Amino acid sequence: MDTNGKQFKKFLEREDKKNKQYGIDNEKKQHSKGKLSAFERIELLFDKDTFEEIDAFVTPATVTTSFGKTTESFGDGVIVGYGKVAGRLVFAYAQDFTVMGGSLGTVHAQKISKIQQMALKMGAPIVGLIDSGGARIQEGIASLAGYATIFNNNIMSSGVIPQISVIMGPAAGGAVYSPALTDFIFMTNKTSYMFVTGPNVVKEVLNEEVTNDELGGAEIHTKKSGVAHMMYEDEEHTIQGVRKLLNYVPSNNIENPPVFINPNETPDWNEKLRDVVPDDPNKPYDVKDVIYLLADKDSFFEISENYAQNLVIGFARLKGQTIGIVANQPKVLAGTIDINSSIKGARFIRFCDSFNIPLLTLEDVPGFLPGVDQEHMGIIRNGAKMLYAYTEATVPKITVILRKSYGGAYIVMNSKNIGGDFNFAWPTAEIAVMGPDGAVAVLYRRELEAAEDPDTLKKELVKTYRDQIANPYIADEKGYIDEVIDPAVTRKKLITAFEALQNKHVNRPSKKHGNIPL
Amino acid sequence: MGIKSILIANRGEIAVRIARTCKNMGIETWGIKTSNEPRAHYLSHMDKVFDLSDEYSEILVFLDVEKLMDIAAQTKVDAIHPGYGFLAENAYFAQRCINAGIKFIGPSPDAIHKMGNKTVARQIATQHEIPLAMGTTHSIRDAEEAKKVADKIGYPVIIKAASGGGGRGMRIIHKAEELAQMFRLATNEAEKAFNDPSVFIEKYIQNPKHIEFQILADSHGNTIHLGERECSIQRKHQKLLEEAPSPALTPELRKEMGDTAIRIAQAVKYESAGTVEFLLDQSNNFFFMEMNTRIQVEHPVTEMITGLDLIEQQIRIAQGEKLSLTQDQVQLKGWAIEYRINAEDVQAGFSPYLGTIEKMSLPSGTNIRIDSGIVEGDSISPNFDSMVAKLIVWGEDRQTAIKESKKALNKFWIKGLKTTIPFFRTVLENESFNCGTFTTSFIEKELDLMHESTDEEEILAAWFATLQYINEREKEATDQVDFEQGKNINPWVLNKRLKSF
Repeated sequence: MDTNGKQFKKFLEREDKKNKQYGIDNEKKQHSKGKLSAFERIELLFDKDTFEEIDAFVTPATVTTSFGKTTESFGDGVIVGYGKVAGRLVFAYAQDFTVMGGSLGTVHAQKISKIQQMALKMGAPIVGLIDSGGARIQEGIASLAGYATIFNNNIMSSGVIPQISVIMGPAAGGAVYSPALTDFIFMTNKTSYMFVTGPNVVKEVLNEEVTNDELGGAEIHTKKSGVAHMMYEDEEHTIQGVRKLLNYVPSNNIENPPVFINPNETPDWNEKLRDVVPDDPNKPYDVKDVIYLLADKDSFFEISENYAQNLVIGFARLKGQTIGIVANQPKVLAGTIDINSSIKGARFIRFCDSFNIPLLTLEDVPGFLPGVDQEHMGIIRNGAKMLYAYTEATVPKITVILRKSYGGAYIVMNSKNIGGDFNFAWPTAEIAVMGPDGAVAVLYRRELEAAEDPDTLKKELVKTYRDQIANPYIADEKGYIDEVIDPAVTRKKLITAFEALQNKHVNRPSKKHGNIPL
Repeated sequence: MGIKSILIANRGEIAVRIARTCKNMGIETWGIKTSNEPRAHYLSHMDKVFDLSDEYSEILVFLDVEKLMDIAAQTKVDAIHPGYGFLAENAYFAQRCINAGIKFIGPSPDAIHKMGNKTVARQIATQHEIPLAMGTTHSIRDAEEAKKVADKIGYPVIIKAASGGGGRGMRIIHKAEELAQMFRLATNEAEKAFNDPSVFIEKYIQNPKHIEFQILADSHGNTIHLGERECSIQRKHQKLLEEAPSPALTPELRKEMGDTAIRIAQAVKYESAGTVEFLLDQSNNFFFMEMNTRIQVEHPVTEMITGLDLIEQQIRIAQGEKLSLTQDQVQLKGWAIEYRINAEDVQAGFSPYLGTIEKMSLPSGTNIRIDSGIVEGDSISPNFDSMVAKLIVWGEDRQTAIKESKKALNKFWIKGLKTTIPFFRTVLENESFNCGTFTTSFIEKELDLMHESTDEEEILAAWFATLQYINEREKEATDQVDFEQGKNINPWVLNKRLKSF
């Protein structure tokens, strides 16, 4: 290198200094907490040697007061750039906890904002790897302004490019709202947590002792609050999960989702589907068994698996094409719709609609979950969310009624009259205003009271109701169902139907935006 | 009259168990093939099979009295053995058998009825001065009356709402001073919650042990007991591990409780094998809980320490034979522990784990007994209980039995299902289990971890995770994603899509 001039020497020195900053010590600090360093995370996220960093040499803003101190470092605690995930352009930023606790200062915020705007301009997904102590106190209002800019970008990008947040350490206070505004939140079990007010404040105000993990750990957010969608046991698997998800979604809201070219082994005709739904209408089964038999092999990617388990949602592929699946789960709460499942379903449907992902609904729903709690907490407003989301969606929408399909819940689950493109029903379907027991109790109350043996009479009436009303054939004959199909041919039917709907377009009245019952 | 053929009105493990004894006694067995499990393993142990596999019915045949009577008539059997569960404690079924001239292997319908009805059983127990968890059956009017009752039965007591449930209107009182206030609170709460302020008082038994006595009684008025079984390790009243004898009983207490159990059985003129359940409090006071008028799931532990075949005893009693031994001849030898190997996910709150047994290998040895109705390839379905097998281990004393159990559980290996085996391993390491002081609140209070986990397991798990990760990475590398196809949009859609923004 001797032949190079002075300028080049300076360039190399700088490079050297930066590499030292991200050296072994930096990695060790993170590893000792069971975490990876920011660069290791970036390396895992992107295809080998495709990451290009920008703004690597920026330095922190100068602080005029003497309160606290800032450390000399390059990058201001965040790595931003772009690269390829499975060969496709993706933008990312990764906060570095080893530099001032990953705290967000002015320059730090500017970097994130810059990459967000680039992603939006280029119409490519953005992934945020979050590991930050929060706003940098020393920089005061400037760091708050920084957060505001990031939130603004999040909202502007919403529904235009897919945004994914990966929580890999703390995310506390206002910082949680950037992830909250994005489409999917991933968390790593035990090492990540997010909350608006931390355990110390909770202790001060309410005198309740609680740990970080108990207050806002990955388990809490994926099981109880529903704030986060995916949880993995370690960072490697978490990032792998992100890569996987990216393969289902298009780069922006104009493109269609990527197509998988694979010699799929799922048979189009499968007799096993005939045996999934039990003969006894009250027996539970696992709706995921239906999904596994319908979708391409290993293609089902479930979202929010542990939250509101009475509704199963997730991406899958049919002959290589991405679809979004919404399915009632008879195994949990008999598959009824409650507040949480409605919110979970509605948000997923809106994501799919934003990004041109066709929707498949697998329906086995006995109704809304009854109860004082549900009513008082607003099942009316919240149940309306899913109804709104389904009706609003203009992507291809197909429903298969597997078994129960009763009352208001029937309407909600993408019925023909709210715009379902195709409604198929299995021979096991029961479509009616209410379930047999309820219907008999309403219509034959007096007769049952007067009967000598009300149990036998009730049994007979239930049987008659099932035979005459609660079956798919009336709906089929009246055109509310497009076809009653043999379960074995369901996959084939779906592939053909989605193919026919490929160029679907619906005109909506122009408006600023609708008013979904939030 | 000797019994020459028996219809086994049950399935699974207990059907196999009954058939085994019948084979030894030279009695012909009939099993029933149902549409739910037409290829079930238990059928291969039957001499003859009544085939109902083509009939789909809403009620399971083992619960269908009419159908069973019909089958009994067609197969011309001498007797019916109901096993446990299903119709085993159904007085009507027992009566129908008698009316049809078929022997019901179990007690008389009258005894089933009396012991099955809680209030009747309580009344009989009171008449015969059997110790009961004391309390009132009528409602208490005021705090003064409450105090009188509480003083009589002794503290702690529990006040419960007469029409209550779910813990509301319920108060535990440890001292007399608290009573008046708690009484007021309980009645107010009951009034609010159930529109009915009436409450009653019961003795509150803290952390009891569940001890039950095996009874044998013949039709000639002889009644003996075969010692006790300790069944305190349970979850939500579901027994998981039973042993005989109990580490908590002295010979004197055993005699006292055994005699009491015999008195209860005699009070209802009990015949056949039966079980009297007691709660034993920490000061060794015992209270009659209920009597089970059937063979119990946990009967093998008693068989292991007495050397008797209880099913054989049931059949002999049903034939009108006299008991072959007197109380003095009953000898309890060694220690036996039974583990209910259920297909359950212990970490998910013991929820049933449905699936198929891909591979299974069982421990064996002279002191090991396995009762099972399932073989490799069978599946655990939601139709029936989730029991895979019962493992019974015998040792000369409790320590030996525990030591042998550890070995046996290590050799018990099932692939394809989650089972209670890891749970039992932790139980066996637990201190309060080893010293025998555990109570029915063992699982809630004594166990920090519901399943066993060792260092090697963690390393192994890490290896598996790594392997899976690498496999997925490799799969990802070979996946072919065509992003261009997603961009190649039909102009019809593209124009409209752009316009609609």
